[in-house]
Amino acid sequence: MTMATDVQRELGQPSETGVSRIDLDGRRIVLGVVGLIGFVLLWWVGSLFQPSYVLPSPVAVAETFIAEASSGEMHAALGQSVRHWLPGAVVGTALGIAVGVSLAWSSLLDDLASPIVRLLRPVPPLALIGFAIAWFGINHTGAAFIVAVGAFWINFYASYGGVEGVSDDLLDVARSLDVKGDLALVRSVVLPAALPEILTGIRTGIGRSWMLVVAAEMFGVPGIGREILRASNNLQVDVVIAYILVLSLAFLLVDIAFRLVQRRVLVWR
Amino acid sequence: MAIDDGSTDDARLSVANVGKRYSGQQGPVQALEDVSFEIRPGEFVCVVGPSGSGKTTLFRIVGGLEEATTGNVSLNGDSVTGPHPDTGIVFQEYHLFPWRTVRANIAFGLERTDLPEAERERRVADLISLVGLSGFEDSYPKSLSGGMKQRVGLARALAMDPSLLLLDEPFGALDAQTKTRLQDELLDIWARTEKTVLFITHDVEEAVTLADRILVMDSDPGRIHDVVDVDLPRPRSRTDPEFGEYYERVLEGIRD
Repeated sequence: MTMATDVQRELGQPSETGVSRIDLDGRRIVLGVVGLIGFVLLWWVGSLFQPSYVLPSPVAVAETFIAEASSGEMHAALGQSVRHWLPGAVVGTALGIAVGVSLAWSSLLDDLASPIVRLLRPVPPLALIGFAIAWFGINHTGAAFIVAVGAFWINFYASYGGVEGVSDDLLDVARSLDVKGDLALVRSVVLPAALPEILTGIRTGIGRSWMLVVAAEMFGVPGIGREILRASNNLQVDVVIAYILVLSLAFLLVDIAFRLVQRRVLVWR
Repeated sequence: MAIDDGSTDDARLSVANVGKRYSGQQGPVQALEDVSFEIRPGEFVCVVGPSGSGKTTLFRIVGGLEEATTGNVSLNGDSVTGPHPDTGIVFQEYHLFPWRTVRANIAFGLERTDLPEAERERRVADLISLVGLSGFEDSYPKSLSGGMKQRVGLARALAMDPSLLLLDEPFGALDAQTKTRLQDELLDIWARTEKTVLFITHDVEEAVTLADRILVMDSDPGRIHDVVDVDLPRPRSRTDPEFGEYYERVLEGIRD
């Protein structure tokens, strides 16, 4: 049948990007490892000329890391931080997306809220620590609140931009196919079309949330942040670095997991 | 122009005294002025005109995507005030939903109907074979060529079984070979489904190849300048002298 060959012709040549992409990934991994080894070597050389309270050697840090990990203190601190991070990030992300999508979609809501948004947006989450303490106290909820504020704004702006970028033509198509009403249009077109931006927002927010967890805990809520502050006060730089490493690893794990989900969800891109 | 409203009983699409005025930066722009025509059920009508003749505005008004400043459009007796499920729309730039597979793009409109699942699946499968996309059901638009995307666009518009098919330069972005093939397929689909077709194009040859009747538009303000009935048997050959005569006549109409 001629049609089949036509369709095959139109589909074009199978691309070879699959192969070259694997090569490229391999190259990047090798170079990344080389960079990492170089960095640790530089650090080690630097530590030879400094007292350990200024820059401990990588070996000393590794020893401290293992000691802290095996004593169980590290697990406890990480567990506490997760109790701030998870609820804060989840609540802030959900609210940020909901508000961002609503304001970007409805010009009425947008006009109503825009002065408030402009007023509140420049406020750094940590400046709200007073409210956190007054409303929730120096505890898990207070720290989670700070994290939620930070996650909220990132997700608000990401989803707002995503929804604003949705093509009017796709909305026309949906209307011509009998989609009626705001809710139906948002569900069937706006959300899926804005999903890439929304997911990028979530991912950025996850990272920012880890930073805020540490900052919020420095006000005395138990967790990695308090451990870092305590060690800093005692000039135990090796402990500080060990806990920073925990933080990086925790972030890295969550980020990798999220990227896998992201790739899966956005196969169509 | 006097319009006899009584004559609309058997007209599937009736456009009466439609005008559209935009407020432009240098004062108001009259995109369309006093456009009137009727299309009978099953008729294939092309609108040709230079750019700026308000073709796309007319398309958007008939499709219910935009409101006319004056006049009235009605489809099967219903006044068109917004997008109408009885009108299937095909756009030049395809506008497929990139997050949906071929199958899911075509099924989009059906998801909101109360057709049983099995019936919906059967309809989508029929449409996929009608537009020659068997084997590509689970592909995403990004991996399709322009011609294939437009096949999906056509199938998606046909899914709701509309009585009017409204197309805005649907093959304008395709290479010549693909364009000719899709024109033939569209005629084939039209003959099989007996849809009424309003097809907007700037390509005179395309209009003469496809249409029962050609509305020639004029620019500034956009209005219907000439109406040409194409009385040629199908399939039409571009090398036929009569084809050439129609081609010249339509082209004259545009140049005047």
